[in-house]
Amino acid sequence: MLGTYYYHEIIRRTVIAFGTMFNDIYIRHKDSTGDSISEMKVPLAYGPIQKFLARIEQQPELNKPIAMTLPRLSFEMTSIQYDPTRKANITQTFKTCDGSNLKKVFLPVPYNIGFQLNLMTKLQDDALQVTEQILPYFQPAFNLTVDLVDSIGEKRDIPIILDNVSFTDDYEGDFSTRRILIYTFNFTVKTYLFGPVSETTDGLIRKVQVDMYADTNRQTAKREMRYTVQPDPYDAAPDDNFGFDEEWLSFDDSKTYSPTQQTDI
Amino acid sequence: MSLNPFFLQGSPGEQRLVQDLINEQLKIYGIDVIYIPRKFVRKQTIIKEIQSSKFDDNFAIEAYVNSFDGYGGQGDILTKFGMSLRDELSLIISKERFEDFISPFLEGENSNEIALSSRPREGDLVYFPLGQRIFEVKFVEHEVNFYQLGKLYVYELKCELFEYEDEVIDTSIQEIDTQIEDQGYITTLQLIGQGLLATATSTINTGYIREIYLNNDGYDYTSTPTVAITTAPYGGTDASAVAITTSRAGVYSIESILLTNAGAGYTVTPTITIVGGGGSGAAVTCSIETSRSGISRFAITGNGAGYINSPSVSITGSVGTGETAVGFAVVGAGQSISSIRIINPGVGYTIAPTVTIDPPPVLSGIGTYQFNEEVFGSQSGTRGRVKSWDYDTKVLKVSLVDNAATKGFYAGELIVGAASSAIYLLQSFDTWDQYDKYSENIEIENAADGIVDFSESNPFGTF
Repeated sequence: MLGTYYYHEIIRRTVIAFGTMFNDIYIRHKDSTGDSISEMKVPLAYGPIQKFLARIEQQPELNKPIAMTLPRLSFEMTSIQYDPTRKANITQTFKTCDGSNLKKVFLPVPYNIGFQLNLMTKLQDDALQVTEQILPYFQPAFNLTVDLVDSIGEKRDIPIILDNVSFTDDYEGDFSTRRILIYTFNFTVKTYLFGPVSETTDGLIRKVQVDMYADTNRQTAKREMRYTVQPDPYDAAPDDNFGFDEEWLSFDDSKTYSPTQQTDI
Repeated sequence: MSLNPFFLQGSPGEQRLVQDLINEQLKIYGIDVIYIPRKFVRKQTIIKEIQSSKFDDNFAIEAYVNSFDGYGGQGDILTKFGMSLRDELSLIISKERFEDFISPFLEGENSNEIALSSRPREGDLVYFPLGQRIFEVKFVEHEVNFYQLGKLYVYELKCELFEYEDEVIDTSIQEIDTQIEDQGYITTLQLIGQGLLATATSTINTGYIREIYLNNDGYDYTSTPTVAITTAPYGGTDASAVAITTSRAGVYSIESILLTNAGAGYTVTPTITIVGGGGSGAAVTCSIETSRSGISRFAITGNGAGYINSPSVSITGSVGTGETAVGFAVVGAGQSISSIRIINPGVGYTIAPTVTIDPPPVLSGIGTYQFNEEVFGSQSGTRGRVKSWDYDTKVLKVSLVDNAATKGFYAGELIVGAASSAIYLLQSFDTWDQYDKYSENIEIENAADGIVDFSESNPFGTF
C-alpha cells in the first residue's frame, strides 16, 4: 500500500518560508548625541548543522580571534504534530493541473510544525530592538502564502502563530561566567502535507457542444441548432491567456448526435 | 598591641624588594600582551549597559600566562548560534607596572569615556599575541598572593575570548586591527579607479527614418520583442530599432521604439512590425525624410570606462531651419558605452555633426581610505566605517553606520572618505555579508523566492 515514492519537500519549504520572515532585521546603535554610529543586519541561520561542517566553515583556519559575533538569530523545527481541528475527509480528492496534464491529489493532511526562533545578543537593548520588530506582525498569527507542491502549483495560506516569548538573562553569579542573553520565540506553523500526485484518466475539456431541439420528446426530436465552443488556440493550457472560438450551426437534415459514435446519425 | 613588636610584618624595603623581584620575574618569564582599554561611547541608563564602545589605545605590558598548559574554558563548542569559542586565559600582571605605566595615561582621558583609571578594568581587552586572539577581561583578582609582607603586588586578569559586535577597534597596531577586519556585518563596495571618456562619430544620410510613431503600446510584452523594419532599396542601408518595454501594476507594454540605425535610401515609408516578446497588439508606423539629411547612425570610436548611468550626448552641427538630433548612450558591460541609440535623427545637417559624450562621474579616483574612517555616498547619504581598503582590486569593506534613509548605497555615486577625502566611484555593492560564515540570510531569501508568494509584499521588508 505504502511505498509510492514522492517527496514534495513540504516540510523543507515550510522551514524556508518560516526563516525568510526574519532575514531582514536590523539593529542600530547610537552615540551619546543620538546619531547613528552602527547599523547591522542580524545574521540568521537554521540552527542544527553537521558538526564537522560547522567547524570547517566557521573555524576554517583555526585562527578566529574572537569568540563569536553577535547578535545572531537561529531557528529550528522542534515538533511535528497532527492537527485534528483541521481534519478533512481523507478520501476526498481534488483535480488540478500541472500546466499541461490533469492531476489527481488527495486532500492534504493538516500538521502543526513547531518552530523555535532564538535570538542571542550582547546587549539587552539589541534584543529589545529585534523583539519589537517581530512581535507586532503576529496577532497572534501571520499568514504566508506558500507554494507547497510546485508541480501542481498548490499555494496555501499557512498561518504562523506566535505562541510565546521567553528569555534568559544570566546576569547573576560570580564573574567567572559570562552574561548570556537569549530570547526564545515559539511558533506554530499550520501547514499541510500532501500525498502523491497521480495522473488522472480525465482530460481537460477542450470542446463543449450543445444541441438544441424543437421538441422534448427524445425519441423523435431531431436537433435543430448546435452551439460549439472551444479555446482559441485549441491547445491552450489552463494558465495561458486564451480566447474562445464559438460556432452556431442550424440543421434541417433530421439527424441527432450520437455520443458513442461521436457523429450525427 | 598583640603582635610581636620585635618582628616587622613587611617593611617598605622588603615590600619594595618583593615587588622588584616580581617585576623582574614577569619580564623574564612573561610575554608582552597589549592592554586595550574600553572607552564608553554611549551608556544607557535604567536598563544599564554600555551600548557602544571603542578601543583606540594600546599599552604593551608584560604578563605571565597562568594557564601555561593551554587555554581554560570549554574550548570550541557548537551552539544554536553556530561555533562559539569559549577559551579562557588567566594572566598575571604587575600592579606597580600598571599603576606606573598605564594608569597615568588613562587619567588624562575623557572621564566620560574612561570611568576608572587606577586599575585594570573588567570589559577591557587584552591582545594575546601568541594565539593572535583578542580577550576580554571579565574579572580582575587583586588579592592573589594574599598580602605577602602586608602588600599586594599583582593583578590576575581572568579573561575570555571577546564577543564582537560592532565595536571600533583602532589601536594603530595593524596586527590587532586586522583581526576584526572580516568580523561584524560588512557591506562590500566595488569601486572604480579609473574612468575614461567615451567618444563617438555620426553619419548623415537622406532617405532615413525621420520619426517613429508608437500607435499602440500593446500588452503582455514580458520580454523584449524584436522590431522588424522592411529593408531599404538596393544601395540603401536597412534601418534597425529596438523596443523598450515597461510595466505598471502587472501590465507589460512597449514604452518606446528607439532607432539604432535610421537607415538610408528609403524612398517609401517602411513597414514596422513588432515580433515576439510574449505580447501582442503593438502598432508602430514611421515617417521618412528623403530630401534633407539627418543622422542615420552613430559609431562608437571609444567605449570609455567608469560609466554607471547613461551620460548625456551632445550633438553639435548646423541644421539651418531643421532640427537637432538627440541620442541616448547605452551603458554596457564594464561600465563602458556600448552604443548610442537615436531618439531623434534630426534634419537639416549638411555635414556630419560632432558627437560629445559626457565624461564619467570620476575620471580618476583619488586617495586612500583610512582604516575606521567614515565614508559616505554622495547621493544616498549612506554612511559606513572602513574595515579595509584594497587599492589594487578597489574593494572597500565597510560596516554600516547609517543607511536608514536609503537602505544602501547607489551604484554610480561617489564614495567619499570623511577624513582622507578619498573619492572613488561606486560600481556595485553587496549588502550580503560574504565573510560571515554563519549567516544564511541570502540563501534563505533565494530559496524562498520560488516558494513564498509575497505578491502583497513582504511586511518584513525586502532583502
